[in-house]
Amino acid sequence: MDTTLDYDVMNFFVPMLIVGIGVALLATGMFTSYFGAGKSQKIGFALLFFGIVILALVYLMTFGGVDAIPDDTFEEDEFNEALTSGIAALGGVIAGMFIILFVLMKVDSVDDLEDLDLEDLEDLDLDEELKKLEEELNQTDENDNTEEEE
Amino acid sequence: MDVDIVISMGLVGVMLAMLGMGLLIAYYGSSKTRNVGVLFLVLGVGLAYYLVEMDTGDVAFWNSMLAFVGGMVGGMLGIIAFLVAIIKS
Repeated sequence: MDTTLDYDVMNFFVPMLIVGIGVALLATGMFTSYFGAGKSQKIGFALLFFGIVILALVYLMTFGGVDAIPDDTFEEDEFNEALTSGIAALGGVIAGMFIILFVLMKVDSVDDLEDLDLEDLEDLDLDEELKKLEEELNQTDENDNTEEEE
Repeated sequence: MDVDIVISMGLVGVMLAMLGMGLLIAYYGSSKTRNVGVLFLVLGVGLAYYLVEMDTGDVAFWNSMLAFVGGMVGGMLGIIAFLVAIIKS
């Protein structure tokens, strides 16, 4: 393997990290502001606001010509490539999950009843078990009564 | 080039899903689903081998992996921020 590869962390990792934070804040903010009440709803609006601000800043720095971070970060072509890669990988994960769910639903996931050892159940006499339980309960009641009398 | 990256990263996503879910199903599944879990694990390892053989020498592939990992870490940080905000309130 070539060990002199030129990885572009500042144009791939960092922008996608910020986009990830922005999308997560936007999604959780939308959820909390819609379903929350009182204080949590206010927090939801704050999260939504910060999510929109972060995504807007990323958009402006990438496509709007705003150079808030120097050193050629947020280049348009690299950002598009990074976003495409992230979305493709997420699509792959979702497709993989669907394949797994499809196969699992086709496979009979419940163990066969033949595997169960039903002989133990057949041998069990329920009436006898009930009588034993009643006797145990009666004995404990009698013990409680004698303790109270003393 | 973009199509190559999309296919490679899509395969990476499928591989991750196969390995993760295969591990869970193989460990916690019933006697029937356990075999399917092992099959998913084998498929995941096969995909990983294919990707290692085909793409890992390419800088664009590792840059794409950086982008994917960055997005995942960012999403986790955002959810942690949400949880902290809700719990502290």
